[in-house]
Amino acid sequence: MAYEQARSPIRTWWQTLRRYRWHAGSVAWVLHRVTGLALLGYLFVHIWALRSLVKGHQAFQAEMELFTTPVFKVAEWLLFAVVLFHALNGIRIVVVDFSQQGAWRQRALLRWVYVVGVLAVLGMGVLIFFDPFAV
Amino acid sequence: MKTRWSAYAWYWQRISGILLVVFTIGHYLTVHWTEAAGHSFAASVERLSNPLFQFWYLGFVLLGFYHGVQGLYNILRDYKLPRALLGGIMVGVIAAALYFTYLGFDTVLSVHQWKHTP
Repeated sequence: MAYEQARSPIRTWWQTLRRYRWHAGSVAWVLHRVTGLALLGYLFVHIWALRSLVKGHQAFQAEMELFTTPVFKVAEWLLFAVVLFHALNGIRIVVVDFSQQGAWRQRALLRWVYVVGVLAVLGMGVLIFFDPFAV
Repeated sequence: MKTRWSAYAWYWQRISGILLVVFTIGHYLTVHWTEAAGHSFAASVERLSNPLFQFWYLGFVLLGFYHGVQGLYNILRDYKLPRALLGGIMVGVIAAALYFTYLGFDTVLSVHQWKHTP
């Protein structure tokens, strides 16, 4: 019997989670999946929210007033962090998979993901909360 | 044949991922560089009246859903779900993705109307 059908998916998930080896690379692997799911969910939300563009100026303006409140600004900042991690780690995955040396450098690449990611998130914080390029 | 199919899925997940990074950088640079750029109705209408931006965003929506739904499938496949459950989830998600692709396309292609009506 090479393969036993799982009886309870939830128990299987839990056991799988417990069996993960929590190293830097596997943490990145889990984060990539979690952020990926979040982004798919966000794509639905984003398209739904922007329907106000079809409804007209007033509907859009009302929505944008909501989106520029502090709570939403923090949420947008968080969203940027999620997008950025998925993008940078995605680039890392492509480099690891498609280049000759990639697999041996995956840890160094991961350091770059976090360093560049933290710097860019800080930069985005400045853009969101101080809006220095506003005209 | 099945192996070939997953190999293509693996390959295109990476290609669509790279394209989405390019799209997203462009999106942030044009729409979210300043607060006003993305939150002004006039600026949004102006942007979406430009065929290049329309094309850009149709591609963004399409690639985003392709990459996201394929990614979700890749994740779910790792968890030995009952076939019917996996199939049911995927049919539901693909139907929702198709409907939202339609919504997104409709938004992108109809915003230019406000350019001529006050």
